[in-house]
Amino acid sequence: MAYIGAEVMISPLGETTEENWLALCENRSGISLVPDAGFDKEGLYLSKIPGLTGPARFRGLLTRALKQISEKIDPAILPSARTIVLISSTKGELDGNIADQFGEPAAALITEFHLAHQPIIVSNACISGVLAINAAANFINAKIYDHVIVIGCDLISDFVVYGFQSLFAISDQPCMPFDAARKGISMGEGCAAVVVSSDREIYKDQPLRLFSGASANDANHISGPSRTGEGLVRSTKKTMNNNGITASEIDFICAHGTATLYNDEMESIAFDRLNLTHIPLNSLKGYFGHTLGAAGVIETSVCMQMIRQGMLLKSLGFREKGTSKELNIVSANKPAQINTILKTASGFGGGNAALIIRKI
Amino acid sequence: MSFITTYCHLTKDYCSVNGTIAGRRDPESADSWFKQIYKEKEFVYPKFYKMDILSQAGFLASELIKRANPELVTRYKDDEVAMLFGNDNSSAETDVRFRKSYQENGAPSPSLFVYTLPNIVMGEIAIINKWYGENMFAVLPKFVSGFFVDYAQILLATGSKAVLCGWLGIKDKSTEVFLFLIEKQAAVGIPSNADNLSALAGNTSFTTD
Repeated sequence: MAYIGAEVMISPLGETTEENWLALCENRSGISLVPDAGFDKEGLYLSKIPGLTGPARFRGLLTRALKQISEKIDPAILPSARTIVLISSTKGELDGNIADQFGEPAAALITEFHLAHQPIIVSNACISGVLAINAAANFINAKIYDHVIVIGCDLISDFVVYGFQSLFAISDQPCMPFDAARKGISMGEGCAAVVVSSDREIYKDQPLRLFSGASANDANHISGPSRTGEGLVRSTKKTMNNNGITASEIDFICAHGTATLYNDEMESIAFDRLNLTHIPLNSLKGYFGHTLGAAGVIETSVCMQMIRQGMLLKSLGFREKGTSKELNIVSANKPAQINTILKTASGFGGGNAALIIRKI
Repeated sequence: MSFITTYCHLTKDYCSVNGTIAGRRDPESADSWFKQIYKEKEFVYPKFYKMDILSQAGFLASELIKRANPELVTRYKDDEVAMLFGNDNSSAETDVRFRKSYQENGAPSPSLFVYTLPNIVMGEIAIINKWYGENMFAVLPKFVSGFFVDYAQILLATGSKAVLCGWLGIKDKSTEVFLFLIEKQAAVGIPSNADNLSALAGNTSFTTD
């Protein structure tokens, strides 16, 4: 059995989990207009961490997150031979060394935190974070490691901004997931970390239960969502079936919701096929933007806070139904008893992944 | 128990299947080495020409494995073949080309950008074979037999029946591609463990442990 806890978040909304949660409760967004950010020097709406500039930004965020993690668990865990670190990211320290985007930051973590094992980078586009947390649970359940620290981190760079601009995927307003007027994504940057363990005693605060989920490829297109939501349907179904969890037990769905026309439509079709459209759902992209490889860890961390604090968060940016299948989108913050959350992700390469967390 | 049943190496100068040379690079040819393999082996998949170098490598090696082990495409349900790939530099070769498109060639190229993620190669192979299984791409400083053996075992214990694994070491001056198939049940094959896998990986410059 795997536990998950000690969640840490660093984003434009705050340096700590507490600051982030406060901002989320006030429905504040990290997205703002950044002058000259686009390829033609146009202003773009981005969710950028204030003051995060200069070299080694990626390494700096990983280090800050791991420092915060070390204060939330038994100090013997980090350097233990039974512990491994997984880093979920798409582009790492790209601006520092495009030829080797992860080598230096991973080596720096080993030195600074006396890690016993080489960190593994999980790089699967936008599902990296959910996939890495599932990999952590798999390592625990197979008893290969007893503790896995998962850090999700990605930065805004000209590289990713110009790339998404070239695909016409960036919205000219702050992103509006699932809304009728949605026009695309807002890029974001951030870092989050969680600790997955077989031992609930290592956490200073009560952990939650992690049910390891499944991933599934759409086998359809490398950069476009499936029209039928096949991979999302399969990964969600397997995640529920493998853990013996039925729809009636799921209190909330934290969807991927990038705010592109096709992604959000695909998700609505998949949740309709799964008979889950009645369950309250949100996308957190309106708060953080799309943080790519970090998104799954940031959003799972928010889910953990939602369970702990007993609060459903409004799906920021949503006003009017904008998908062919109607979803139960949370339109205002609402106190609620939340026991079980389904978190999903979908991304380039046809990947889809899901996981489930539950209050103990 | 699981078994390594089929494997394929692509290096700068040759390709081999199950340890037997299957082709050698013609240094006189005007075609890239991967295009030479594509033509010589008479593959018919025009999208190959649009792929980046990681996806081309994954395409060629996975197709060669299928030819050597045709049951891979008939024996399993569409979600029973997982993919577990890795390398030490993510999609760096294509990342450099994409950066050049906007720094030197006028505009960011969308057709390059979509390949600037290392997991895309698994998406391409999934599309060709209609495989809806698990996928994971890991970046590690070097090939580690134990990682592939352990994680393949996890995938085989959680619903997959075969895992197509791959190390895609592709750099400016070197090509160290090694794909191998681990199957839960097999009539022919060697037991999947780190020592056996290191031995099969061995004739390249990989460091193994």
